Amino acid sequence: MTDAAAASRPPFDRAALYRWLFLLFVAGFVAAPLIATLLGGFKSLGDLRTNPFGMPREWEWSNYADILLSKRYWRMLWNSFVISSLTTIITLIVAAMAAFVFAHLRFFGSRMLLNYFTMGLLFPAATAILPLFIKVRDLGLLDTYFGVVLPQVAFALAMSILLFRRFFRDLPHELLEAALVDGCSYPRFFRFVTLPLSTPILATVGTITFVHSWNSYLLPLVMLNSDAMYPWPLGIMVYQGEFTADWHLILAFITLTILPTFLLFVLAQKHIVAGLTVGAVKG
Amino acid sequence: MSTTALGRAATSGKLTAVVLFLPPALVLFTLFVILPVGEAAWYSGFNWNGFGRPTNWIGFTNYDYVFEARAFGLALRNNVLIIVISLGIQLPLALTLAILLAEKFRGAVALRMLFFLPYVLAEVATGLIFSFVYDGDYGLLAGVWRFFGAEPPHLLASTQTSMLAILIVVVWKYFGFHMMLFIAALQGQDQHLVEAARIDGASRWQVLRHITIPLLYPTIRLSVFFAVVGSLQLFDLVMPLTRGGPADSSQTMVSFLYSHGVTRMRIGYGSAIGVILFVICVTFAVTYKRWFMRDD
Amino acid sequence: MNAIKHSLYAAAAVLAVSAGPSLAQTTVKWMHLEVNPAQIKIWEEVAREFEAKNPGTKIEMQFLENESYKAKLPTLLQSNDRPHIIYSWAGGVLKAQVEAGVLADITDQTKDTAATISAGAMSAFTRDGRVYGLPFAQSQVGILYNKELMAKAKVDGSAIKTWDDWLAAIKALKAAGVTPLTVGGADKWPLHFYWTHLAVRLGGKAGFEAALKGQNGGFEGEVFQKSGDLMKQIVDLQPFQNGFLGFKNPQSTGFFGDGKAAMSLVISTVYHQQKALAADKVGITDDKIGWVNFPSVPGGKGEPTDTLGGINGWLVTKGAPKEAVEFVKHFVSKDVQMRLAGAGFLIPVVKGADEAISNAFMRNIAQNLARSNYHQNFYDQDLGPSVGRVVNDATAELAGGSMTPRQVAKAVQDAFKQGN
Repeated sequence: MTDAAAASRPPFDRAALYRWLFLLFVAGFVAAPLIATLLGGFKSLGDLRTNPFGMPREWEWSNYADILLSKRYWRMLWNSFVISSLTTIITLIVAAMAAFVFAHLRFFGSRMLLNYFTMGLLFPAATAILPLFIKVRDLGLLDTYFGVVLPQVAFALAMSILLFRRFFRDLPHELLEAALVDGCSYPRFFRFVTLPLSTPILATVGTITFVHSWNSYLLPLVMLNSDAMYPWPLGIMVYQGEFTADWHLILAFITLTILPTFLLFVLAQKHIVAGLTVGAVKG
Repeated sequence: MSTTALGRAATSGKLTAVVLFLPPALVLFTLFVILPVGEAAWYSGFNWNGFGRPTNWIGFTNYDYVFEARAFGLALRNNVLIIVISLGIQLPLALTLAILLAEKFRGAVALRMLFFLPYVLAEVATGLIFSFVYDGDYGLLAGVWRFFGAEPPHLLASTQTSMLAILIVVVWKYFGFHMMLFIAALQGQDQHLVEAARIDGASRWQVLRHITIPLLYPTIRLSVFFAVVGSLQLFDLVMPLTRGGPADSSQTMVSFLYSHGVTRMRIGYGSAIGVILFVICVTFAVTYKRWFMRDD
Repeated sequence: MNAIKHSLYAAAAVLAVSAGPSLAQTTVKWMHLEVNPAQIKIWEEVAREFEAKNPGTKIEMQFLENESYKAKLPTLLQSNDRPHIIYSWAGGVLKAQVEAGVLADITDQTKDTAATISAGAMSAFTRDGRVYGLPFAQSQVGILYNKELMAKAKVDGSAIKTWDDWLAAIKALKAAGVTPLTVGGADKWPLHFYWTHLAVRLGGKAGFEAALKGQNGGFEGEVFQKSGDLMKQIVDLQPFQNGFLGFKNPQSTGFFGDGKAAMSLVISTVYHQQKALAADKVGITDDKIGWVNFPSVPGGKGEPTDTLGGINGWLVTKGAPKEAVEFVKHFVSKDVQMRLAGAGFLIPVVKGADEAISNAFMRNIAQNLARSNYHQNFYDQDLGPSVGRVVNDATAELAGGSMTPRQVAKAVQDAFKQGN
């Protein structure tokens, strides 16, 4: 790289200066709302109004503590966790199995079937949300975890199958031939050879599915009815409805609800970035 | 073991695998993705509140109602606006930042992560954060205005500015994603070409203009694709900010479908909106793939 | 340490409850919209009393904010485990719910209680002779004002009798630098009070009934166009707080409670809600708060005593345990009614319970309601779920300047004709 370590250059380099100014401006644009939210949660309402940007005059730890000690906060996160985990696990299993078939087996109509699944990439769940609601209702799944999980899995399938299929096809084909000669069945090969070799793609698809499900709003909004079942995006909206103008409490609540996402992001940024971008590209 | 025996064993194993592995995906997908779309088309011909079975067949009348609705026109306009902003502001911004941050220098990775962070946050949380930012009483923007001694604006409360406010949030939330796409592509580029050009005396700008960016065209096309598809689905962000208001001025297709179809349990009317959205999505995806992404 | 212990106990308690069947527990799920903690506290006491008297029954309260509730209700009711007791404003929405078959017919279980309730309130929850819910409160829409702020502009709120009085008051307040009116425009329905109360004054009972029958041009007729014209007169004065179209109703209520606007056209319960929603949780105190009825309008066919307002009740949904009905009966018992009325939270519906109303403000409202010969229910409830929403949409657009009075009337009439 020709101009590596631009920062260490002498300060009269105008281009570098402008570049840094620009980057800092964008960084401020991105970070300011987040930092203000975090700090706002520590303020009193009056403090927040007169002093939206600065440090809290008095650190009101109780805003955060009250939420952390409340049952609703943990219940929300738990619901989200259950819904996202179930969605992810089922998607991984179901999509990997289907993709395995599409990657290794040719049979009458296999191409057509693959195209059938690809149609799922073309439109969002919102287009059919009302019939979906009727269906879930008729299946008796309203207000249950599965009423959200199953449609989410179904809509994640198209992309997941394509990603898995591409990966499976790139695995050395000799492996499969050798295994078949040795009398290994397809299911056993899938279970004992393909899956263990597929950790990277499992992580990628798993990340995409989990993050989407963790953040999803429309499906739970339509399918779930009771507080006890609400995942956090719904819970936080109810909380906001309850505390309308008590912004300091709402900000503390927002901070605490995005905290898990934030921690996960910091801890597993490589996987998440790869999952959400590379995954998207290849799909 | 003869080859034919092996072949037969493989064939029967093949059948087992197909019969075992495919149905779960097929059933789920058919039940929750394909069937509902078909049902939406069917329901859209009825005046139905969801109870009992649909019986009141009214043909295409629901479509007439949708096309006559002022909110529909606004939703369509807003979706187009989002696409325009995505292409006109977000994409160049993302591209510029990608080019700056693809180079290795201290802080580059941290900045990349910071810029990507909004994309990971849930839309609902983002919407709430910005409803605070925009709040005319307690918000950050109000603070800035008061600092200059001006009466704070209520961006979300005016039919003139509500959509502008949402567009800013859209850029805030999604530019990092597109930037990451470009960085990934830039890092995959063959540096020899660039170096060769530099040795031949090309300026940095010329290299950018004639080598780097043309090599990014496939990624740009992809990025455009995501921007459009994302705009057509935009909903979660709108709800905490404006719920489509005031006076439907910030409605998107999906929020329109939600507020005028779902919350009023007008299954037929809402399904008609869904079908229209479906047609738009599919038409776009198919034509775009055929015209612009054929070689990718 | 303590916190951990605490949460362990909580977890144990949760497990114990979820192991319910062995304890023969019946849980009654009760969905409410109340935002005032002081009133919720009494409700909780009532629930605990009921539980004490009925061992094995648990009353579970669930809150949804008003507007979220209205948005959620249609989907909520389609679920098999919908709440057992839901909030209702009666009217066309109730009619639709009855027709959809999601409500329990509680006529027989509530005969004794129904006899204690005023006939007018009871009839709102009766359809074709069958009872689907019990009312527990009445309310009136009128102008709530802040005496201190009015005094700044030398306006006497109690002297607002005619439409022109009101316009003059608004102008005077504006001139004095006071925000004349606050309204929760984002929720839309607070704006529909203007249009509908004008229609009540202009057309009276006869005007509304004619519109329902499609006479005189229905909701597109003269009465409703004129309502729009007059509402526009107000809107054109720009009397509302800055950004009113972005304020949800609780925010607007808090805005009034914070003493930032002189008047608000609201439901009488805002009298106590503004205290809870004010930033200082005190709000405008009794000596500074005033109430005046919606002004009369030149050429109006309605009586000045006609009122717009609500009759609020609890519905029991189909499949609810019988304890749900019992609880609702308990909730509208004279004793509970008197307690809530005494605390100034509601105008009771049980005969004789209004004696318990202790403060002058609520007594005045009760008298207004007693004097009224035509009490119009909120249009957005009365006209049914779809048409009602259009009334809200359209009046909000009128306030925002994106629809003309003519277009508003046409939109409502179109929706009425579409009927879906």
